Formats: sequence, C-alpha cells, structure tokens
Amino acid sequence: MESLDLLAMREIYNRQRVMLCFNGPISRSLIEEIGNALRNYLQAEQAKPSAAMDVFAVYIEMTQNIRHYATQKGFSDQDASATVAISRDDEGRYVVSAGNLVTEQDGRELVDFVARLSTLDKAQLKIAYKEQLRKPREDGASSGAGLGLLDIARKSSSPMRTSLQEQKDGRFFFSLSAVI
Amino acid sequence: MSELNIASTQSTPAIHGDWQAGVLAMQGDSYPENSFELYDQVIQWVERFLGEEPRPLALQLKLLYLNTSSIKAMMDIFDLLEEAHNQGREVSVTWLYDSRNERVAELAEEFREDCTFAFTISTFDE
Repeated sequence: MESLDLLAMREIYNRQRVMLCFNGPISRSLIEEIGNALRNYLQAEQAKPSAAMDVFAVYIEMTQNIRHYATQKGFSDQDASATVAISRDDEGRYVVSAGNLVTEQDGRELVDFVARLSTLDKAQLKIAYKEQLRKPREDGASSGAGLGLLDIARKSSSPMRTSLQEQKDGRFFFSLSAVI
Repeated sequence: MSELNIASTQSTPAIHGDWQAGVLAMQGDSYPENSFELYDQVIQWVERFLGEEPRPLALQLKLLYLNTSSIKAMMDIFDLLEEAHNQGREVSVTWLYDSRNERVAELAEEFREDCTFAFTISTFDE
C-alpha cells in the first residue's frame, strides 16, 4: 500500500496557498464547523468584514449546493462527499473551490450554466438573481442550485471556473472555483 | 395572542415575536441548510398577526449573513408585509447593521428596493 506522504501534501498546500481544505463525506454540522474555522482564519488574517463575509458566503453556497444535490440524488451520507479548498491566488485574492461527483448530464448542465453566467455583467447578474429569487420553490426542494450559483457569480471578482472529469466508475467529478 | 420564541443556533438567528407589542425581532446569522423548516413558523406567525390584529406590525432586524435559502424565506415575509401595506395596514421594517460591514447594508437595500412600506436601514453602535 502506498504510504501517505504528508510532506508532499503539505508542499502542495503551501505552493497553492491553501488555507483550509477538506475531502470526504460532508455533513450539515461539518459545514458549520469548517465554516467556523474559516471565519476564524479570516479574522486572524484581518480580512475586511465585507470580504470575509463574501468568502464565507461563497463557501456556504458551494457546500450547501453539494449537500442538496446529494439529498436530491438520494446519496447516502458516505456518498455525499465533497472536496473543498480555500486558498489565495498570486494577487492575494481569496479563492473558494469545491468539487463533487455528479452524473454526466448534471455536470454538463452545470458547466453550461456557469459559462452563461460568465457572459453577464454585474447589472445583468443582479436581474437574473432577482428573477431566480422570484421563481416559486419546487415541492421538496429547499432551494435551487441556480440561486446559489448566481449569488457566487455576483460575489466573484472574475468569472467562475469549472471542470468536469470522467471517473473510472462512469460518474463525473465536477469542480467549481470562484475568486472573491 | 401568542408569542414566538426561537433560540439562536450557530447557523440560525434568535427570533422573538411579541404579539402584544406587535413586534417581530430577529438577530444573528442565518444559513441553515433548509431555511423553510425554520421560517415557515415565522411566516405563519406574521400571517396570523396580520389576519387577526388590526394593529401595526414592526420588524426589528439585526440580521448579518443570510444564505440564499434564508434570503428567499425573508423575501416571502416582506411580500406579506407589502401585501398588508397595500391594503392600508401599518407595517414597517428597521434593519440595523454594524457600519464596519457594508455587505449587510447592501443586502438590506436589495430587499428595500422591492418594498413600498417604511423600511429603515441604519447603523448601530457596538
């Protein structure tokens, strides 16, 4: 069995300026606990309250979207896994990234939706956001992923990036990254 | 007459509905995974108050961060107030925020854009 190379992991995290990351089954309480740690880190780094709130908000929307997706698909808690990282880019801006397993069709729809959002300016995003907010909620669905993605797009300082990669089991790994 | 009392948690605000005073107060963060489980009872309280009482209703908010699911629920509450206002009822919202965090004021402002009743957004001193 391959031994765990913590030093290699550490070097990757340091190089990519990862403040906080998580990989595994994600529960409601874990989202809150990691969120708490994130808030403390941001406070310790003396991020402006508004910037800290944006980073926290994007983290919450991404992880709750993943939880809602898992619920909607009937995944077990063990299958409701997410990979989440909060890092800084070369300019020191915060980057929130999250990924999870999806079906090919859902993944393609997400990639297309995010691509469409990238063509909208802030004013158009606000209009689209308010329209989505006014849509009646579907029975059983707590909220659509669309609203969360629109919210993230509005808080991002550059267009969100996505990737979709096929896994051995035929499912796809969707990842989303937003620069605040 | 009925009081509404919901204690705050890490991800949900403290909510107090004072039927006698006609005041609904909410303060703290709101980012539960399913906000409707929480806000359905608040929406029902507001509906009942507006249905049974002729008196004014005032919302006193010190809300901070709201996830999109809470924003949708809050919009439902403001829609009820707007409807009551259009029928001649006296309703109001006062949203207090910490001046160091302008995001809260921006959030409140986006709600206010869709309301025609008295909606005050102002800072509080710690």
